[in-house]
Amino acid sequence: MTTEVEHAIEVENLTKCYGNLVAVNDISFNVRQGEVFAFLGPNGAGKTTTVEIADTIIRPTSGKVRILGMDVTKQKRYIVPRIGVLPQGFSSFDRITVRETMQYYSRLFCCRNADIDGLLELVNLSDKARVQYMKLSGGLKQRLGIAIALVNDPEIVFLDEPTTGLDPRARREVWEVMQGLKKEGKTVFLTTHYIEEAELLADTVAIISKGKIIAMDSPVQLIESNADYLVLTLQSVDGKAFEVLGEMGFEPYLNNHKNINVRVERTDDIRKILNAMKDAGVSLLGMDLRKPNLEQVFLKLTGEALREEASGGNGTE
Amino acid sequence: MNLRIVAASLVVSIKIFFREKTTMFFTTTFPILLIFVFGTIFVDQDKVSFDLCLQDLDRTETSAEIAKALALTGKFRIIEVPPAIDATQYAKNNKANLVLVIPKDYEKSYTQYLQFDNPNAVVTIKYIYDPSSSSVDTKMQILDMVFAKMNQGLSGKPPFISRAEISIHTRKYRFIDFFIPGIIAMAVMTASLFGTVNVNTELRQKGIIRKLSTTPITRTDWILSNILYQFVLAVISTTAMLLVSYAVFDVKLQINGWLPLFIVLDVFTFVGIGMILTRIVKEAQGAAAAANAIIFPMMFLSGSFVPLEMMPRYLQTFAKVLPLYYVNEGLRASMVFRDNLSALSYAAIIGTIAAIVFIVGITATRWEESK
Repeated sequence: MTTEVEHAIEVENLTKCYGNLVAVNDISFNVRQGEVFAFLGPNGAGKTTTVEIADTIIRPTSGKVRILGMDVTKQKRYIVPRIGVLPQGFSSFDRITVRETMQYYSRLFCCRNADIDGLLELVNLSDKARVQYMKLSGGLKQRLGIAIALVNDPEIVFLDEPTTGLDPRARREVWEVMQGLKKEGKTVFLTTHYIEEAELLADTVAIISKGKIIAMDSPVQLIESNADYLVLTLQSVDGKAFEVLGEMGFEPYLNNHKNINVRVERTDDIRKILNAMKDAGVSLLGMDLRKPNLEQVFLKLTGEALREEASGGNGTE
Repeated sequence: MNLRIVAASLVVSIKIFFREKTTMFFTTTFPILLIFVFGTIFVDQDKVSFDLCLQDLDRTETSAEIAKALALTGKFRIIEVPPAIDATQYAKNNKANLVLVIPKDYEKSYTQYLQFDNPNAVVTIKYIYDPSSSSVDTKMQILDMVFAKMNQGLSGKPPFISRAEISIHTRKYRFIDFFIPGIIAMAVMTASLFGTVNVNTELRQKGIIRKLSTTPITRTDWILSNILYQFVLAVISTTAMLLVSYAVFDVKLQINGWLPLFIVLDVFTFVGIGMILTRIVKEAQGAAAAANAIIFPMMFLSGSFVPLEMMPRYLQTFAKVLPLYYVNEGLRASMVFRDNLSALSYAAIIGTIAAIVFIVGITATRWEESK
């Protein structure tokens, strides 16, 4: 069943319903061979449902999904040996060691020559090979999950929220592993609600909200095509700055550093804002003007923020 | 079906079993504890004796003979109740379910009956008893037999009807010999059903089943590895139970090829039922409750502990729809009665049930999770 196809993943009018709830609503997209494709969206957007249909865990209500040219509903047995999956909230057998877990999954794929030592080295788990799964930290467990997803040397790797719940250091370690996969030329389908992750790793980002893809392009192109405005950042300790901007008809908001961001569409607006601040006696500690980043594009497109606190849950979408 | 995948899954399950010390302890010791408890109760069932409270109001040598005669039966340990005490009050205060009262003038009446051949010289021995007690009927039946024998002896004639006991079995068996096969069948059922339900609901809740669904393992491979794993546990626990039974209770059981066959069929049936339950009940707690709902009727109504003849007729009929009944009867046919033909017919029935349940179990098992 090995055939050369242009697209590793082809999704056509995919819909998935759970009773009256439409989790994925008539979406279509393709993932090229060797690219890292990121599905970006908040919890409940439909990311996991889409990836679980693509990696054969669940069946679609309607539409077609082809993996390496094969239909996921009819040719699962031919697809499974050629893909690697890190499901959301990955877990393994508590009392089985890291090496034994790798050996077990390699036997499931009948891989006699699986390079278990090489994979453990790739995910930096060589020194934990004899440690039982239950004794690993969250980050180490995720890294083991990625190593398992690679045990059959798959052509496509599905990583469903691989860094959710990890601390920043562990997250960066997982990113390094993913960058290694990218260098190896693997096709990676990644779901995340971390903008930074998508921006850093993905060749293509699809923004999904309420079961619909609302934008899809490279991170740079997404910003370019949606950057018809500038973001003015004001550093101020004076609460009056917010009031002044509101009275002028702008919609200011606080960014992650507690500075005031305001979207301006004309350069003339900047002069007006600064004059108004001066007239109102608002003291400014500093200011910055730049094109929007991916987070701001996401905010513009979806009207909702990807909040950090929403990332703690592992709710299936 | 891929035997390498089945073997790999079996090895993982066995490693987990040996590393979970508490699970290992309870899997092997629980059936042994059951054998100790019930074995101790039933091993000397033929030598059972009851406490019997006796109030002798006559206080003569002749009346004392009654106490001696009763003690000689070996069925009673006599507790004397002083004549000055009210027997009914004594029974209430001391929670005695039966007080036997020999009346005053017993010796006088006895003499008149024997020496003067006076047919009106009769005595009435009172049974003051608690009808709510379960053992009082047995006590009174034994007393009736003892007194009937005494009356017959007094009449001076030999008994007209006597009895000759001919056992249908060539060897003499004790209750413990019949009990052990029932305990083996029950222990294998409990371990298979609970093991399957607990492990599979836990793996599903942790998302491991979801991960396995993205590998080449099939539902048949998975269920077969579960069955093999439960069979290994069943062999360990059955060996332990038989060793204790032989060493402590000196049972006389026939070990032959039927034993592993019935264990395999027992495991197949109850792992299959466990798989069906896992499909129907989502949460671990609910699954355990559902497993209990199946296990308890099987335990008590299929003849594992209590002989079916002691149950009402409709329950005896009901027992015959319970799979465990055929495992119990099959094991007894082979291990106790050495009746290969009966063992074969029971094996055929439980084999058919096992095959149906196994197929339904495979069909019911879903890798895909509904939400």
